[in-house]
Amino acid sequence: MSNLYIELTNFTEWLLGLVAALLDWTKLGFLSDFGDWLQTAPVVDFVSTLLVAVIFLITAMMFGLCFIWQERKTLGRFMDRRGTQVGFLGFFQNFADGIKVILKEHIVPKDSDHLLFELAIFAYLASTFMLFGCIPYSDNFYVIDVDLAVLLGIAIFAFGPFSILIGGWSSNNKFTLIGGMRAAAQLIALEIPLLLCIVSVAVLTGDLSFVGVVTWQEENIWLIVPLCIGALTFFIAAIGESERIPFDLPEAEAELVEGWATEYGDVRWGLQMASDYFRAYILCGLFTMLFLGGWAGPEFIWAEAWYLSKTFIVFFFFIWVRAATVRIRTDQILKLGWRRLLPLAVVNLLIAVALKVAGVF
Amino acid sequence: MLVDDYFPVAMFALVALLIPAVAIIMGKLFRPTKQAEMRNTTYECGERPIGVAQIQFHVQFYIYAIIFVAFDILTVFLIVWAMAFDGLSDIANIAAITFLVILLAGVYYSLKKERILWI
Repeated sequence: MSNLYIELTNFTEWLLGLVAALLDWTKLGFLSDFGDWLQTAPVVDFVSTLLVAVIFLITAMMFGLCFIWQERKTLGRFMDRRGTQVGFLGFFQNFADGIKVILKEHIVPKDSDHLLFELAIFAYLASTFMLFGCIPYSDNFYVIDVDLAVLLGIAIFAFGPFSILIGGWSSNNKFTLIGGMRAAAQLIALEIPLLLCIVSVAVLTGDLSFVGVVTWQEENIWLIVPLCIGALTFFIAAIGESERIPFDLPEAEAELVEGWATEYGDVRWGLQMASDYFRAYILCGLFTMLFLGGWAGPEFIWAEAWYLSKTFIVFFFFIWVRAATVRIRTDQILKLGWRRLLPLAVVNLLIAVALKVAGVF
Repeated sequence: MLVDDYFPVAMFALVALLIPAVAIIMGKLFRPTKQAEMRNTTYECGERPIGVAQIQFHVQFYIYAIIFVAFDILTVFLIVWAMAFDGLSDIANIAAITFLVILLAGVYYSLKKERILWI
């Protein structure tokens, strides 16, 4: 059990005890029974897990918003300007955007498939928020720690192209249809190298829970050193999976208006835009966990701070790539995915197997 | 216990489903709702939309998706193999590598036939 769970279980016990005492004070029989029921173990477990999930999700969303801020400021510096200036260091720009987006109208095109139109964006957003839970911050601050945590994260991630394709199709708009098809083709082309890099990590560490992978790296060496080819492949595939600039064809503002999300307005569009960054944050977190040793580091600052600072550095490289490269065509992305990244990932896997067989680790 | 392990996953899924629902309901409280005839048409840069967009996809997209599914299943099998790597005999490892090579040969073939099979 982690500290977060223990603290919140104690807090929940105290809170439910308070509620039970209040109910007891009313001197009504059925309310006292209800108070007793509130203090049983399953209820305490349920409420404390709910609290952990809510706290973790809000924390992770705040750091996701920090990514948007970091992108605006860093990209501004790359373009020789200052970036956003709203509020303290431009930090309130996101909140201003959020308020603006929530005041916008919701338009459902009359030719669209109304049910699928609403469900697709809902599935996309829910799967994005679900992803937050898969990445722990340290061995004391996490929600989900299962044996197959990495695989669970990738499985939820793979839900994205599915909902994007349905969203693009159901809008009944040429832009969204082309955007959705491009997104599906691109995301599945780059997912294979991503998965093969994870297989190579699993060969060396023999574990797919984040705690196991990070502990292995603490004891031996950061995996970016033996698996540098895999780290590079993972990095490129991660940029493509988060639909960022060299590979931003699903959105392609120059030719497709807003890609598959053209027909979405109001808070749905705002959250869709934010969830692009949330997905980039998840992939940076995955890169940190798998190749940069996660929260491992000297103990003069917290483990969580190590994890977050490494993630922000990885995202800085994402922004650098965005600032330095030009967009490429769809067929070039598919060729890059299947003809360059896939062989590289296989070579990386064979290197991992060779290292394991030779007994280096 | 498996149920105990995955209970937080279920709870987190619940919270993750609630967040967009709450956001959408919040938007409903604040936003204006004016209906207009032209506003509900499909967006095509201000032009009146021509035809529908729900056309049939090209069959190559289907073949592409099948190649992806084959490879996705391959990676899941490889993950199982990688997790059990320590306890396996040499023959099992050779079998797994052969499995990988066969599927790679399939991808090589489909890349060769790019005009026919690929998007």
